[in-house]
Amino acid sequence: MQTVKLKIQRSEPSSGKKVSYDEFEVPVEEGMVVLDAVHYVENNLDPSLAVRWNCKAARCGSCAAELNGMPKLMCKTRVDTLGDHITIEPMKAFPVVKDLVTDVSHNYEVAKKIPPFTPKPEMKSPFLINQIDITRSKEFRTCIECFLCQDVCHVIREHHSDYFGPKHVVKIASLDLHPADCIDRSELLYHEGGLGFCDITKCCQAVCPEDIRITDNAIIPEKERIVDHVYDPIGRLIRVVKGRKW
Amino acid sequence: MMSSKKEGRFSVPELLEFNWRMWSFVLLLLLAGAVLFLNPVNPYHGYVDPFYSPTVFVIPIVALFRVTCYAYRKDYYRHVFKHPLACRADIRGEKDNRAYSGERTLFALNNFHRYFLYAGILILPFFYWDFYKSLIWQTGYFDLRLGSLLLLFNAILLTLWTVSCHAFRHLTGGRTDCYSCKAAPQFRKKFYLGQSFLNKFHENLAFISLVVVIGVDIYIRALMAGMPLDFTFIKVLL
Repeated sequence: MQTVKLKIQRSEPSSGKKVSYDEFEVPVEEGMVVLDAVHYVENNLDPSLAVRWNCKAARCGSCAAELNGMPKLMCKTRVDTLGDHITIEPMKAFPVVKDLVTDVSHNYEVAKKIPPFTPKPEMKSPFLINQIDITRSKEFRTCIECFLCQDVCHVIREHHSDYFGPKHVVKIASLDLHPADCIDRSELLYHEGGLGFCDITKCCQAVCPEDIRITDNAIIPEKERIVDHVYDPIGRLIRVVKGRKW
Repeated sequence: MMSSKKEGRFSVPELLEFNWRMWSFVLLLLLAGAVLFLNPVNPYHGYVDPFYSPTVFVIPIVALFRVTCYAYRKDYYRHVFKHPLACRADIRGEKDNRAYSGERTLFALNNFHRYFLYAGILILPFFYWDFYKSLIWQTGYFDLRLGSLLLLFNAILLTLWTVSCHAFRHLTGGRTDCYSCKAAPQFRKKFYLGQSFLNKFHENLAFISLVVVIGVDIYIRALMAGMPLDFTFIKVLL
């Protein structure tokens, strides 16, 4: 029977267990995904292995990890696409809880800073929105909050800056581009969100399991909105004339 | 934890890092600039070199349009500055002890891209004019040659690259949140969607158009050097 060798990173900072790698040999079945292989290890070879998963259908975003160095969902990555040796590591941008489980709670703290959907004062519930207006912000609604984009972003991962990160720019763009919303959150992104740190190298877009064009459709439009307000002298002049601060 | 940058750690300033990629790139740009300015191409048999159309002084504007373009920004941040070189962990070339300011200091100037876009749009018609002039360069004749088609191909690619630009996308529809609140909503949205379709190929167009404009320049220089690379498709008396 064909087998695959898994090299899994193990650690548990709370009990002082430092980073090490364990190797396991797992029989391969047709159509097997990496999460199946990890479950085989957990059920048959080492029950102490910690892994977070939920739906196994690329809907919940829980099983995000780094497979051969690339952030991916374990449930959406077939074993036969990665070769005979697969290295599985937790997301490096976040603190490890145990083995493949990371603490992503920082993202929820950032999410609290984003002003929620605020309808225009003249709009009455229930909101009737023209289809032509809603398609653009719908793309961002497919985000499953796996945080792979946050993990691969070098601004967060290596430079530990105050940049909110691609996932939160997607959230902000989904609200800013909403036709019924009346808040411009690009000001928050400029002052507090550190969008200027982003150098649009598109790794977030490359790893998104939902194929959201994060950089093209969320980050760059938000950057352009900041340009409207901060860098464009004509835009600034119009704002001064109209007596607007942002 | 997701802490802020560690205090007290010394990092070499970004532009002073030992980075052979950056200095090679700067040298390449200086050499290319010197070659273009010191060896200008005059109109030859009705062909106007795209680098010198309408005048040699557009070179800095076009160069800045390219340098501040989102497509090239991605590539030079990756391949020149290695911030990061690639997405995979083992080949990222990015380290947490490197200084990094993103587009907040010097590269914040990239935010003026839209002004170079405006200049680029003004320059575009000259490329089509050059194509037209190359057809009627001999008085009384219509002369369709390989070089004319190359000039047209170059003009079309430059147009596609310009109109697929992210700043153009923002200015012509991206900044609108509510299409149905404005005049001609269907047209606005269709234009935006069409432009967004082109925008998906912006990086490809950026590099193809760069290679083609350099290729056309070399082609015209080769013709001037006497190489028999041109031939006529149609030549009729008007």
